[in-house]
Amino acid sequence: MSSCIARQIAGETMVGMGQATAGRAPERMKAILGSCVAVALYHPRLRAGVVAHVVLPDSAGRNGVPGKFADTAVPHMLTLLKQMGVPSHGLTAKLTGGANMFDSTGPLKIGDANVEAVTRELTRAGIRVAARDVGGTKGRRMSFDCSNGQITIENAGLPPRIL
Amino acid sequence: MTDSFRDDGPRLEVLHELFASATHDASAVMCRWTDGLITVALDEVREIPLEDVANELNIGDELLTMVVLALRGEVGGNMILVFDDDSARQLAASLLGREPETDPEWTEPEKSALTETGNILGCAYMNALTRLINTDLVPSAPYFIQDYAASVLQQALMAQALTCDELLICRIGFRYKNKQLDWRVLFVPTQAMRRAMEQALHSAH
Repeated sequence: MSSCIARQIAGETMVGMGQATAGRAPERMKAILGSCVAVALYHPRLRAGVVAHVVLPDSAGRNGVPGKFADTAVPHMLTLLKQMGVPSHGLTAKLTGGANMFDSTGPLKIGDANVEAVTRELTRAGIRVAARDVGGTKGRRMSFDCSNGQITIENAGLPPRIL
Repeated sequence: MTDSFRDDGPRLEVLHELFASATHDASAVMCRWTDGLITVALDEVREIPLEDVANELNIGDELLTMVVLALRGEVGGNMILVFDDDSARQLAASLLGREPETDPEWTEPEKSALTETGNILGCAYMNALTRLINTDLVPSAPYFIQDYAASVLQQALMAQALTCDELLICRIGFRYKNKQLDWRVLFVPTQAMRRAMEQALHSAH
């Protein structure tokens, strides 16, 4: 189940910027991340989860695709799970992304701001962050497995690691 | 490659006209830098929904070699030169007057050659845009990056993404002796830059 159209290849759904995609085992969701943060919420007993590709920290009341801002993405993710019959209690979160890839001398270190904002929203929602792989200056390719809640992360030129 | 516009054509046409003018100047500079071998031409000016940007620009999850130049300030943007590794090394070798390196690790002279290409092209655009919109633009030093192009593009889009769900992207293509190369320049202006460009052309007309 997806909140909006997402590209699917062989059981793996690409979650683009501002999108949120929910699914059950054995589905996988994938994203390419720079300064954006992928938030994955997972219910281990029901083996269901949702990934949002968060672009910016704060909507400041602006309209936009719900997965775009940290403050709208987290409630939207919980709504998607609820529509699947997945309760919000018992969920854990994992974060990945939030890099500052270039021109990091400027005031807008958007990667860091995204990580902070997502963490704040998850705390507000009472969801524990079980693991994170964030920051740095490199892009990430992530893949979230609804079968076990694991995230596989790849940086350019490095072997994959499991979160 | 044909130019493409969305249904709000008149607004994009204005931007296309200004950017085509800047590209013409930049092409002359690029041609001089490469001893007449390479020119650039404006392929398209488009508005693309945020979630479709990587897909519409055919930027997958492969690793690419890029040079990024940021134009700082509210009226600014980001310029990303995108190459595949092989052709980037060929360009660097050509500029250095030697055969392409075979070691997978880029040497400092190679990085410098490619970075300087980005700097020259970026400054050519900056000078043209400064003249056309009558606003001083402040470039960053160029960054040499080898990474997922979609990751780099994300950060480049941030200023626009703050206020828009449809993002304006200008795509410039490279030509070697009039044959299209698989290189691209993506220019992502800030909203303020976009307004400045539109106002400049409206004033001129």
